[in-house]
Order: sequence, then structure tokens, then C-alpha cells
Amino acid sequence: MRFAALALAIGLIAAVPSPSQDTAAAGGATIVRQADNNASLVGVALVVRAGLDRQTMRQNGLAALVAETILRTPVTQAQNGVPAAALQDAIAAHGGSIRFTVDPSDVRFYVEVLAEDAPAVLDLLRTAIAAPDFSSATVRDARAALVREIAQTQQVALQVGLDMLNAASSGQANAGLPELGTPASLAQIFAPDAKAFYHAYYRRTGMLISAAGRLDAVPNGALEALASALPAGATSPVTVHVASLHGTTREIIAHRDISSPWLIAQYPAPSVESRDFGPMLVLAAFVRRTLSDIAQVPGVVTPTFASRSVGAVYAYDRTPANLVLYVNGGLIGDPSRAFATALSVVNVLAAAKLQGSIEEVKAEAAGDFASDATTLETRTWLAAVFQRESASPDFIERALRAIAATTPDDVQRVARTYLGNPTIALVLPRGTNVQD
Amino acid sequence: MTARAALVAGLLAVAASLTALTPVRAAMARDIGMGSLPRGGSYIVDPDPTIASAAIGLWFRAPGAGYDNATPGLSNLAATAAAVAPLASGKSLYALVHSLGGQVNIAVYPDIVGIGAVVPASASRRVIAAITAAYFAPSIDDTAVKTARANAAVLGVQQRYQSDQTLHDLLFKQIFASGPAVYPALPTSITQLTSITTAQVRSFAQRAFRSENAVLTLTGNVDASSVSAVTDGSGTGAMDQPYDSTPAPNPAAATVSGAVDGVGLAWIGPPISDQRAATALDFVADYLFRETTGVVWRGLDTAKSDALVLGQFITLHDPGVMVVTIGGDHEKQAEKQVLDTLETMRQPLDKKTFEAAREAFLYHVATDTQTPQQRADNFGWYTVEGNLQYAPGISDGAYNQVARSLDPEYVASVVRRYLDKPIVVDLIAVPAQKGSTP
Repeated sequence: MRFAALALAIGLIAAVPSPSQDTAAAGGATIVRQADNNASLVGVALVVRAGLDRQTMRQNGLAALVAETILRTPVTQAQNGVPAAALQDAIAAHGGSIRFTVDPSDVRFYVEVLAEDAPAVLDLLRTAIAAPDFSSATVRDARAALVREIAQTQQVALQVGLDMLNAASSGQANAGLPELGTPASLAQIFAPDAKAFYHAYYRRTGMLISAAGRLDAVPNGALEALASALPAGATSPVTVHVASLHGTTREIIAHRDISSPWLIAQYPAPSVESRDFGPMLVLAAFVRRTLSDIAQVPGVVTPTFASRSVGAVYAYDRTPANLVLYVNGGLIGDPSRAFATALSVVNVLAAAKLQGSIEEVKAEAAGDFASDATTLETRTWLAAVFQRESASPDFIERALRAIAATTPDDVQRVARTYLGNPTIALVLPRGTNVQD
Repeated sequence: MTARAALVAGLLAVAASLTALTPVRAAMARDIGMGSLPRGGSYIVDPDPTIASAAIGLWFRAPGAGYDNATPGLSNLAATAAAVAPLASGKSLYALVHSLGGQVNIAVYPDIVGIGAVVPASASRRVIAAITAAYFAPSIDDTAVKTARANAAVLGVQQRYQSDQTLHDLLFKQIFASGPAVYPALPTSITQLTSITTAQVRSFAQRAFRSENAVLTLTGNVDASSVSAVTDGSGTGAMDQPYDSTPAPNPAAATVSGAVDGVGLAWIGPPISDQRAATALDFVADYLFRETTGVVWRGLDTAKSDALVLGQFITLHDPGVMVVTIGGDHEKQAEKQVLDTLETMRQPLDKKTFEAAREAFLYHVATDTQTPQQRADNFGWYTVEGNLQYAPGISDGAYNQVARSLDPEYVASVVRRYLDKPIVVDLIAVPAQKGSTP
């Protein structure tokens, strides 16, 4: 209670109802609920332990292929005379959407729907995830969709850089592979592989269902039914150790069809259950503000290309967590100088304690966290992350309390612990090199 | 009840509630409250205690180029200067909000101004007090105007490289003959920018940002008791009448040199009072142009072209405007695709396609109005444009009811009525010359 009192004293914590969680009724799965009767929608994140670390190195893209196949599984809607449609199209026709993300250890589906259509849509999702269509035609369509998406992703320099950095920082080689695979790896994966992966890893134990919004519109037992769509049982990751690199450089370079260079630095960072979580949120806010101030045109108060050309992102929802600094060379005159300044700022933080009050930085960290947690998608995902990592889905209270308790000494300790030696990715336009 | 009758009833309800001295509950499905500010003006509060942040908006009716429509950028300078001028505490609104962990957003349009702040919920009372002080009792000095000028200059240069906003301004200039919509929100030259004096900015701010010309919107983790934080304002009058513009009788196409290439298309649409037609055009924009799901969007061959097509119906008091802008490359092919697709919309969609598209539209409206900032902006925009009850995103509100009433034949008739031949602006990139930037 001491921490809560301290936090309230400095005015960072708002009274927000805690999410509820339930594991008893879900047969090994966990269900987290955040009721928001002011919402028009219901959002449900469904997290299954079937991510990158369940693939072998040769199976890169298989987790994504199975998830995409589920989205394309034909489902029959309740109305008479309505022919079967792919799950994603059926949900769209009901007034909703579904997408998936492949994480190092999980695959996460997020479905969002108008409250009145939630019962029907959750039933469609349950049907598809319980019995995906692994026919050659559906898997072929799923593969083609992934190849198109990969092609688009390759035009996004920041994502290209992050993929390289995640591969370099992953403790498990398979967990660091690109989340959608590559066109070459997908070409070697067929319907039987997808079916086998599904039957091996789509299990109930460790599954997490996080729902938010107009939960009064969700019939009793609908979320539990979603959990029981998968058979009982737990799964284990495929262990693929990665040999330590002994190179003298920590730079990774890639060339893509982009118009300007991007410079990205990645540092290790604490997970949400660490005592360093709050200080790292504050540190990330400080770095973000400092970089923006450096890049911004002096005296200008509206966000500009320049201020948006740099950024710092603390990816605490990823395993392992990391802090990323980036400079978009297309929006700033001298990206190398801006990047060098950013790295210098981080080095100085590790070497010297912040002088003066850090209350404004703490307020900024709290403001960033609170304003980032306003959509149903982020709220369901953050509750899932905090439940998974710290056994409490109460992300707002935990994060704001951690920020409130942070001292300048904590910030310096965390800077010294984590921000020593970044791995750097340079994503360059084709035909250019580092000297350019 | 006809749409017209519903409109009249809605307007009467708004008028009654905005003039009440005590808070009233609006006839809306959500727990949305409305009432009068202590010293003039009105407020709308839409509390959601399940999230940790609050959005605070302050909206005014104000002509972008001044009350004589002769000073482009004046409204922008005044809105920015008021945000950066020191308050009684010595800190400006801008500095205060940042020190509390929030963000300020200043949005200036031809006919209205919206100031937004998103802050941690615990800071909402302080920010409500500060934002109303900054605008209801502006203390604009030379330093504040200097900052506002610098800000406008940078934004002006930046905008030259954004085909969407540049085309938007150029299209409005073509389709309107007079009124504030003819002028861009930002000054277009250094001469224009520096010719605006501190006295002009101060005078404009004092007239435009009167409390009685304002609506305060509060959403997120905030409640109506926060309104007591408002201590400034001295108004006893009413909000200004809308600053409408007059459509050009014979608008012409134009070709304009700029920093980037692009093509813009525009059509004059219905006023906000024609709720059904306005909603039908929102539906058309969603069905054709929404990112990822829109028919035109999906029809673009991303392997061969980087064309970016954006389309929206802009709901204004009278009239509204449908705008489509095309940037990237292969603009002319994309333009043909837009026009060909619109041609098909002159005939009713089949029932199944229409019903799925309407459900998708309703969902898109809901998902686009779920954050406190989106809701505060929506309430502010629709109030100053003349019809709060019609603001999208209110469960079972007027907008949703009208959207659910749409049918294929009616939508096709609206397309035939409003989306015939567009006014086209071609933006042609030319090499930059020294000293050509504002």
C-alpha cells in the first residue's frame, strides 16, 4: 500500500477498474475480462502457444501459414441460404475484423466486432479454430496472401531493420526468424505440414483469451467455448540453440527498395515483471523526448517531419524485451549526425545520474502509457502481456505504480545495466553503401 | 419521422440543452451529458472510467482567413499563439500539458478551430482550467506570435511535400467562389505570413475564442464535475453562426505546379442537415476508399504502382464536400480507376454485397470512434458544424440509425445526384528554386 499512496500523492494514477481473470472455468486456458459498457464494440485477443519457437529452422513461416489458413477457413453463417465464406470475410460482413500476429512464443488472433454481432462472430471464430480447413486450395491461398504481405513488409525499412535485430538478439534461433517466414521457406511448406503443426501446438493449456468492451453482449460461456475449441494439453518449444557470434562488429546492413536510409539501434530491456520495468519506461520517455527535441526545428510547437523522424520504442511486450532507437533518414537532413547524437545521449545516461527532478519525465512516461492504452486492441493485448508475465492483468495500475516509484538512481542503474552495447541495423536504399 | 423532422427535433434538443444553466442528460444512448459552462459556452462530457487518460477539446466557429476573408493564416496564428502564450502561472498551455505528460493538438480548418489535449486522467482538471484560460482570456504578445509564425512557416514548407493536404486546399479554391473555404489554413508566402501583426492576431483571438463561441468536449476518464475547473470566460451571448462558403457556379479544372505530383477530385455534397445523403456519401467513401478494405484500394496493383488514393466525404454545415486525392505514382491510371468505380456505383449494389458493406461501414465508424481523442474531436466537429446529435460513434445515435436505414437504391441515387463530373486539380512537381519556399 505504501507504493500506492506514493503514486497517488504525485498524481499519476487514475482510478480504473481492474481486469478480472478466470482460469477455473476455461480448462487450462486463462480468460481475462475488461468490461467497458461505454464501448460500441467487443474486442477479443486469443493467444495460443503456437508462435515462432514451435517451428524448426526449416519451418520458418509455418506458424503464420496455419494462422492465415484459419482466417481463410470457410465457415457457414447462421442465416439460411447464406453460402460458406472465409472466416475473415464472414466476420467483415457481420461488422467486424480479424487479424493475427506471430510472436516469438505465441500466435495472437484479434477479433473486433459490433457488440450486437459478437455472439455470431465468436461462434464463427470458434468453429474455424476448432477445425481449420487444411485443404490444398485454402493453404495455397494462405501462402499466396503471406507472400504478398511479405513483399509489402520488405518495403517498410523499420520492419526490415527490426527483423534483423530480433534475429540477432533472440536466445532461440527459431524464435528470431521473420514472423511471416520468407517466400522461399513458405514454398517448402505444404498442407500436411500445416495440419501437423496445428494438431501439435493448438492446445488449450497456456491459451489466453483477453476480452474487452461491451462484454454484456457476449453470451455466458462464449469465451469458455472459445477456449474449449482446442483440445486439452500443453506444448513445449522446439529448442534451437544459436551459436554465439564472435565478430568485432555489431552492425547489420541490408539493402531494400526504399528511398532513404534508416538507422536503428536495439538494446536489451527488462520484461514487465522486472523491478526495472518502471525505470525503463521513464528512461524510454526521456530518450524519446530528447531525440524529438534534438530533431525538432527550434521554436516549433507542432509535430513536424523532423520531430517524427526519430523515436524510441520500449517493446516490453516482446520476448525478450528490447529498447529500439531509430532515425528515418528521409525526414531529416543529416541522419548520421542525429543517430550519433541519440547514441551519445544513451551513453551519457549510463554514465551520469539525471540532474534535477525527473517528475516531468515520469509524467510523460505515464501519459504515454495511458494514452497508448485506449483502443480495445491495445487493452486486450496489454492485459494478456501482464497476465502472462506477472500473473496480474492489471496493466494500468502496475505500470503507473512502477513509474511513480522510480527514482533518478533507478534510471541510472537501468541505463547502466541495459544500455551498454547496442546492435545496430542500417537499412539502405539499393545502390548505396555505409559511406554514402 | 422524416429526416427533416428528426433534424428539427434534434436541433431543438441541442438548443435547449446548450442554453440550460444546469447539466442535462442528452437524449442519447450513451451516458453523454451536456450543459453550459459557468461563464458562457457549452460543454459535452462522455465519461469512460475504464481507461486512464482523458481527452479535452475546445472548439470554435472561426473563419480561417479572418472576419474579412482577407488574411489567410490568421486563425492558425491566433490558435497557436494562444497555446504558447504564458498563462498566469507563467507556463503556457503547451508547456503545461507537456509537463503533465500530455500532448496538444491544434487543428485549424477554414470555418472552425479545434484545440485538443490528451492527458493522464489525473491531470484533467488542471488542463481544463488552463485550456479555457488560454483561449477565453488570451494574453497574446509578440513572442507568442513570433512562435506561431515560425510554426506556420515550417508547417507551410512541410505541406508542400504532402500532396493530400495541398490538393485539398487547391480543390476547395476551385469549387468555392467565396467564403473562408477559398483560402488555405496556412499562409502561402513569407510576405503573407509576416504581414500579419500581433494586434491583428490578438484582436482575432479575442473575437473568435470567446467563451460563448466555444464548446468544451470532455471524454475518457473525466466527469461533469470537472467543468467547475473553468474559471474564465465572460460571455452571455451565443455561438457565432456557421461560416459557410458559397460554391462556384461554374467551377473549373486546374493544373498547378508544386513540390510533388498528385491528382485531386472534388464534388459539392449535401449539407449536414441532409443526414441521409451525407451518411450515404460517408458510406460510399468507406466502401470505395477505406485503407485495406476499400474496393478502389484493393483494386490497386501494389506490385506495379505506389499510388495512394484517399477519399472522404467532409461533413460541413453547408455544403459538404467529397474529396479524393491521389499521390504516389501512376496517378492518372488510379484516377481512371476511381472514376470507373464511381460509375458502377450509379447503379444499386446487389442486396448481399450492400448489406455486408453496410455492416462493415457501421463497424468502421465504431472502431474509428473508440478512443477518447477520437470521440472528443467528433463531438467538437459535429457541434460546431451544426448537429451534435448526428455525431458518429454514438451507439444507437442518429448517425447509426440513418446508416442502418440506407438501401442500395438510395445510395445509388445519391451517387447520381452528387458524384457526377468532378472538379479535377492536377498537381505537377517542378524542381525547387532557391527562395521559393515560404
